[in-house]
Amino acid sequence: MAWEYSDKTKQLFMDAVQGKPGTHLGEIENADGVGEHGSIVCGDALKFTFRVRRAENPLDDVITEAKYLTFGCTSAIAASEALCALIEGKGLTPIQALRIRNQDIVEYLEGLPQQKIHCSVMGAEALEAAVVDWAAKRGVDLAAAGVKLSGEKADEDGRIVCKCFAITEPYLRRKIRELHLRTVDDVTAALKAGGMCGACRYAPGGIQDILNDIWPDACATCPSGGACPASAAPAEPSPFQIAKKIESALETDVRPALRRDGGDLELVDIKGWKVYVSLKGHCATCLGASHTLQLLVERTLKDAVDSRIEVIPV
Amino acid sequence: MNPTAPLVYADHNATTPVAPEVVEAMLPWLRSGYFNPSSMYEPALRAAHAVRDARAAVAAFVGAADPSEILFTSCATESNNTALFGVAAANPSRRHIVTSAVEHPAILEVCRELERRGCEITRLPVDRQGRIATADYVRALRPDTLLVTLMMANNETGVAWPVGDWARIAKATDPSIVFHTDATQAAGKLPIDLSGDLRHVDLLSFSGHKMNAPKGIGVLYIRRGTALRPYLYGGHQESGRRGGTENVPYIAGLARACELAKAHAADLPALAARRDALEADLLHLIPYAEVNGRGAPRTPNTLNLSFHYVEGEAILYALNAQGICASTGSACSSGSLEPSHVLRAMDIPFTAMHGSLRLSFGLSNPQSDYDRIRDVLPPIIADLRRLSPYWDQKTNAPRPR
Repeated sequence: MAWEYSDKTKQLFMDAVQGKPGTHLGEIENADGVGEHGSIVCGDALKFTFRVRRAENPLDDVITEAKYLTFGCTSAIAASEALCALIEGKGLTPIQALRIRNQDIVEYLEGLPQQKIHCSVMGAEALEAAVVDWAAKRGVDLAAAGVKLSGEKADEDGRIVCKCFAITEPYLRRKIRELHLRTVDDVTAALKAGGMCGACRYAPGGIQDILNDIWPDACATCPSGGACPASAAPAEPSPFQIAKKIESALETDVRPALRRDGGDLELVDIKGWKVYVSLKGHCATCLGASHTLQLLVERTLKDAVDSRIEVIPV
Repeated sequence: MNPTAPLVYADHNATTPVAPEVVEAMLPWLRSGYFNPSSMYEPALRAAHAVRDARAAVAAFVGAADPSEILFTSCATESNNTALFGVAAANPSRRHIVTSAVEHPAILEVCRELERRGCEITRLPVDRQGRIATADYVRALRPDTLLVTLMMANNETGVAWPVGDWARIAKATDPSIVFHTDATQAAGKLPIDLSGDLRHVDLLSFSGHKMNAPKGIGVLYIRRGTALRPYLYGGHQESGRRGGTENVPYIAGLARACELAKAHAADLPALAARRDALEADLLHLIPYAEVNGRGAPRTPNTLNLSFHYVEGEAILYALNAQGICASTGSACSSGSLEPSHVLRAMDIPFTAMHGSLRLSFGLSNPQSDYDRIRDVLPPIIADLRRLSPYWDQKTNAPRPR
């Protein structure tokens, strides 16, 4: 995808990368407001800090300095620069600064490609987080000051359980039923939920709780109704029993001979009468390996188990 | 862009420059030889002979037993569509397909569509180095398996797979299983011998523009006896397997590119050596960098790096400003906000996932191109890390979180 960035965006990015004077790169120590948004998992993250000139009444604090550190693409870095430029030295109070919307950042950048709009949203979100932080430090009640925060609140239906992968409860419930997932490990393996930080695995309302809710008692909901078919002895030798015979023939008749030569053999799979084996150790690099398999393994298994057996080296 | 420095093109896995010899081979058929090969007069016969000779040259390039096994298409994507839909249509009684999690979208999206039409797809996972465990592959084969489609080499990492061996295993399991491989990133970079180690492969796709022919020409090799329904109906061309007037100049150009690739096969070890030297230098110069797929066999031209705590699109932009063309698997470059499905399947750590850079070279890159990248890239990474909230300037290491 080719770049469709404005000259302003490109300029801000290159200035920041080259550390030109006048850019807002960095982090203010003991900042009055610190806000972060995004995560390295998502591919972009912004740490935004500002300093205020303190007034008697905290509501009259004025932002004097703003800085950022950004992990992200060209436009994420330019948007961070734009945010700081929009705020610094304008005599804004933190609450007035909240009026800066992502659209203002887009305009400052002279436009952003549609798929990059989230970079400007990230700036606005980090700003809001920093103002919330300032309010806490200065004992300002934002609600009382008439501030409505825009920060998204996931509605109850779409509550996010796994924050790392943004996986919601309805999705988890549906997939757990569809895929018959029984354990937290099953869920993580199948859906990735809980696979990053792991915090949601056993947290209240987390994966285990959802599993407990969906499968209250695993045996009670089993369709066999207690008459577990696993307990019924099959009349014919099952594929499992054939496999056991093959394994035992390999163990007693084949492996000792291979091990004498410093090799070994791994049983990879059995499909019907086809036996997939892999040679290990000295045998794996031996030029006569396929010969070894054909003669020794196949003949042994044909004699010991069934004449239809065919060995496939893998 | 830096106007003084010459362009460094390190994105050959995206497309390649058209070789001058290829242009020369095409020109007569664009100028005076414009005739339709199906027409009934002497000049048209010459066009038909050009297609015939090109088919023989392409067949020789891939080691096909007979030129009739070569089907000309418009691109590798069409070859892949033809292979997968064609096999599915010809074998309605079987519905199971084995593929991998890291195929090109031209396979993955076709599989998804076949899934909607009732097929069942097994997508084999890969390990940290981009390899498939043979045991996983063997266990995926089922009595109702219709088709196996696994790529010869990966476009992002260059990781090459032993598809010849896997085709042998498929045929030993069940001769009715059709084995297809997407060789788009292998053609011209790895040996392709359909009479040798690939003798069990039934279908093989590749395109011209990854091997110094122009965009708009592709090949599907179809081993004789493979049941396949046409994908494009509308004419008797290509023995009734693909309607549409033959693209004579591009077919002639592709044939020339195949001959050139054959002639230059001996230069590939040198290509790998230049890549390996650059790889060693960059790993030495840049901390917290790693090579994706380093533990696996790779195509000689591809170097996929991950730089922890920086974002790939920003790297690309900074390289672009220096006149260097490369590619990334980062989310921000994809248009979909998803990082590369290949790197995700390889379980690359999330600190490095977004900081991937793919450099892919060709035989025409002089050593000075490699040197430029070695000189330019380390300061770019350092500059971007200076901007990153995850990087500590004082220790030149990731910040403890």
